[in-house]
This record gives sequence, structure tokens and C-alpha cells, in this order.
Amino acid sequence: MKNSSHALSKSVMYAVLLFTVIVSGFPIMWVIMSSFKTNAQILSNPFSLPTGFIFSGYERAWKYCKFPTIYTNSFTIALSATFISLVIFSMAAYVIAKYQFKGRNLLYSLFVLTLLVPTMARAQPILRLIVGMNLYDTPLALILVYATTGMATCLFVLRATFMTIPLEFSEAAWLEGAGFIKTFLLINLPMAKSGLATAGTLLFLANWNEYYYAMLLTMKEVNRTVPFAITYFDNTFNFDYTSMFAALTLVIVPALIVYAIFQEQVAASLVASGVKG
Amino acid sequence: MKPEPRGNQAVKPIGLTHKQKNLIWIWIFLLPSIAAFLAFYLMPIITLIATGFTRWDGSRPPTYNGINNYVSLFNSVAFKKSIQNLLVWTLVAATVHVAYSVLIAVYLYKKPFGGRFVRVIYMVPNIIAPAAWAMIYRYFYNQDIGIVNHVVRIFSPGYSVPWLYVSPHAMVAVTMTWVFYGVVGTLIVLGDLMAIPAELHEAARIDGASDWKITRMINLPLCRISIGTNILLSINARITMYEMIRFTTRGGPINDTWNLPLILTDAINNSNYGYANAVGSIMFAFGLIVLIIINRALRMHESVY
Repeated sequence: MKNSSHALSKSVMYAVLLFTVIVSGFPIMWVIMSSFKTNAQILSNPFSLPTGFIFSGYERAWKYCKFPTIYTNSFTIALSATFISLVIFSMAAYVIAKYQFKGRNLLYSLFVLTLLVPTMARAQPILRLIVGMNLYDTPLALILVYATTGMATCLFVLRATFMTIPLEFSEAAWLEGAGFIKTFLLINLPMAKSGLATAGTLLFLANWNEYYYAMLLTMKEVNRTVPFAITYFDNTFNFDYTSMFAALTLVIVPALIVYAIFQEQVAASLVASGVKG
Repeated sequence: MKPEPRGNQAVKPIGLTHKQKNLIWIWIFLLPSIAAFLAFYLMPIITLIATGFTRWDGSRPPTYNGINNYVSLFNSVAFKKSIQNLLVWTLVAATVHVAYSVLIAVYLYKKPFGGRFVRVIYMVPNIIAPAAWAMIYRYFYNQDIGIVNHVVRIFSPGYSVPWLYVSPHAMVAVTMTWVFYGVVGTLIVLGDLMAIPAELHEAARIDGASDWKITRMINLPLCRISIGTNILLSINARITMYEMIRFTTRGGPINDTWNLPLILTDAINNSNYGYANAVGSIMFAFGLIVLIIINRALRMHESVY
């Protein structure tokens, strides 16, 4: 009796896990698979495996969606924003973690509370700010907005990392005559590598995937980012499913590559994105 | 001013000039973050709340019109439907979505065969752009090439429903695009599960507790805080859900799947800024209320151990 119920609960578990793998993995598999099929094959049986590798969809997608441009834009914007975030928030996280000064807790709480503001709630004020700075429809607008979006989680992760670095290292540096900047740059920053990697991965993926502000703050085709370009897929492909799926594959592949390379950091960053202040 | 003392270690004496120099550096280091906070958070929130009570088209300065924006919001069909949808999604998020992600955490904690593989695949939907994910789902529901119709056709030949464009299917279809994807929640609950001391389980086993009993009576209560965080995250994602609607139903059919971000974005596009910011204020307030309720209900500020 006990054994059979045990076996049952085990089969339920594996059924649920299998279901999870299917609902998470199959949609992407299906898109990639379909991108190598002809339109007729997609229409006749969406489940069938591709009979060969047809790259015509990719050729059309690459050309009509201007992937060279949108990849370049997305990479430049996502990387620059990530870099700026890491610089400014590691500086703040460092002094918050290592020094005592008036207003420290208040500042930290305020910074972390920014997490509570829904993304879109700030849309109109930020649009106005960007227009006022004369940055509307420029890559710099997105870089600025993205660089400040990850504030809470970034500070949270980096502060925790700096707190784990023993003070003795800084003290030894002071005895050697190192100043504030040197102690930060040469001693503490290199030791915070894991935290920087986690925060960096989190920020990069968020920036790379961001749609709303790209839609709100850019207009011209030359300034399009990859997620924003999806808006135009319908008009561009219009029932050319092969090219549509090829374009979608081109959209998701860079994120999958980042995931394949930085799997541990991605997992850590997902956990970090879930930790509330 | 001075390095924080750690444990019983004495603070290293530093000269006054050194201290002052440090203090200057501290504020220099904080300055960019403070600027970012002021420009991209504090000012926007003040603008948001203040101009929610004005008529404002962007070209002329805002004029105070009291609670007119809120009155017309509460009288609009789209807004009523959006609030109704938000409440339904909040409920689904706090129950089904969170329960599913916790269930996966409990299963992965048992280190099943292939558990690592499950984790790897389960993370994928959270890594790719929500806009792309929404697009994929749109084709999933497509009448001609969509998987959903094809699967149903196996059991019921000739079945053909444009899921995203008919009522009541659309609401279900849109909900399905997120309800089985909760890897962030799973990972934080899993982290809490791993942190439970093994002695607790041994003690329970000696007392003859079954696996299920251990999970229910010991493990899940000890994960109270991460489950609460999980609920908050899931509800917050519902408040800001945009791409999943924009790329699938666009709020339709009629206004079945309408939501607040759509109303807000429409208002911005129509240069109806006061109205947009009233919607933003409501989104912000809703998030805060949920936070307070969950915090109270799950006593999240109290430590577990």
C-alpha cells in the first residue's frame, strides 16, 4: 500500500517535471524548427521536423529586419548601459557597505525602494525628461534610462558582495599608503568580481530584452533595438512564416548564447532579481 | 567617516584630515547614484502623483482639475475591465502561479533524475525578451499553424478557434502565457529549502513523519518569506504586463484583456498626460497596497528561525 502510493507520487512528480520541460522548451524548439521549414511545410503540419536546412528565411529576415543595424544598436545600448550601471552602483554600494556616514541607511533604503515603482508608471515623466534633454530618438536616451533601471537589485547585490570582503585587506592597503580610490579600485573591486558578474548578467539581459522604453523613446529605423523591431515583423513578413520564425530565432539566439556561457551567473542573477530589499 | 568596526575589532585610528578627505570621497562616490535617483525616480514619482490631478497635454502647462482624471477613469469601461482583469490575474498569480513554482521547487529539492536539466530548460522563458515570448505564443494560438489548434484537432477533428480573438478564450490564452513560468520564484524558494538544517528532517523522520508531512509541516512554513516574495514578484509582474498583451490580443476581443499599462500608454500617445499619470499613480498605489497586505499576512518582516 505504502509502496504503491510512493510510486504514484513519484510518477506525478515526473509527469509535472516533464510538463515543465515541455511548456518551457517546446515553444522555442518549435520556433527554431519552423525557421528551417518552407511555408507549405509549416502550414501542412506544424509538428513535422524540418526535412533539411533552408536558410532562405534567415536571408530574408536578416535583410528586411536590418539585423546588422538592430543587433549593433542593441549591443551598444545594452553594453554601455550595463557598464555605466556597474560603475556608478559599485561606487555607491562600496561606500554604503564599507563606510559609516550620516544618512547612509536612509539613502540605501531610498535606493532599494525604487524597486516598488512599476516600470510604466514613470513613463510620461521620463519621456518628458528625455525630450527636455534633447535626447529623444537617440541611443543615449535608452542608455541613460537602462543604466538607471537596475538600481535597486544592482545595489542590493553589490552591497552584499562588498560586505563579504574582509576589512583587513583595505587596512593593509591604507598602511601601505593607498588612498581612497586605490583601495577601492585595486583591492575591493577585484575581490567583488562574482557580484559584479551576477549584477552585470542581470543588467545586460534586462537591457537586451527591454521593449517598453525602446518603444516610448525611439522612432527612427536606425535607432531600433532588437525587441522593438519585433513590432514591425507582422508588416514585414505578412504570412511568410518561415522568415517570421527565422527572425524570431535571430531575436532569441543572443540571449540563449549569453545563457549558455554564463549559466551560473544567470541563475544567480535570477535569484537576485527576486530578492526584495 | 571611518571604516565600520567589525565584531570586536578595534577601529583603526585615522587622522581628522584623513577622515574629512574620506567623507568627501564618500559623497563623490554617492553622487552619480543620487543624481540617478533624483532624475529617474524621485522627480518622476512627484510629477506622476502631482500631475495626476491636472489636465495636461504637454504643450501648455498643466492645469489643476482635481480628481477629474480619476472620476473619468472610474467611469470608463476600459478601466473597469482593466481593474477586473488585474484582480483576476492577481488572484491567479498569488495562487496557481506561485503554487506551481513552489511545487517545482519542492520537486527539485528532492534531487530527481534529470533535475538539473529541468532547471536549465525552465529558466529559458525568463531569459528571452518578453516581446519575443509573446510573439511565439501568438503563433502558438494561430488558427492555421498554431500548436494549440492542432493538438485539439487530434481529439476533435475540424476544431479551429482563433484563441486570441474570441471571448472567453482570449483571457485564458493570455493567462497561459505566464502561469507556468515561475523560475525566479522556484529558485528563491529552492534556496530557502536548501538552507533548512538537516537535523530538523531527521528529527521528524524519527517521529515517523512522511515526506509529504515534512514538506507541508516543516519545509513550507520555513519558506514563508520566500513564498511571500514570490507572491509579490508575481503580482508586480501582473501590474506591469505589457508585451504579453501588446503582441497578442492588444486588449481585445472588445476589451476582454485590457489592462492598465495599455490605458497608460494610449494616454501618453494621445498627449493626455494628466490621465496617463493618474493611471500610473493607481499602478504604483496598487503595488504598495499589495506589498503591505502580503507583508502583514505572511509576517515577512519577522525572521523565520
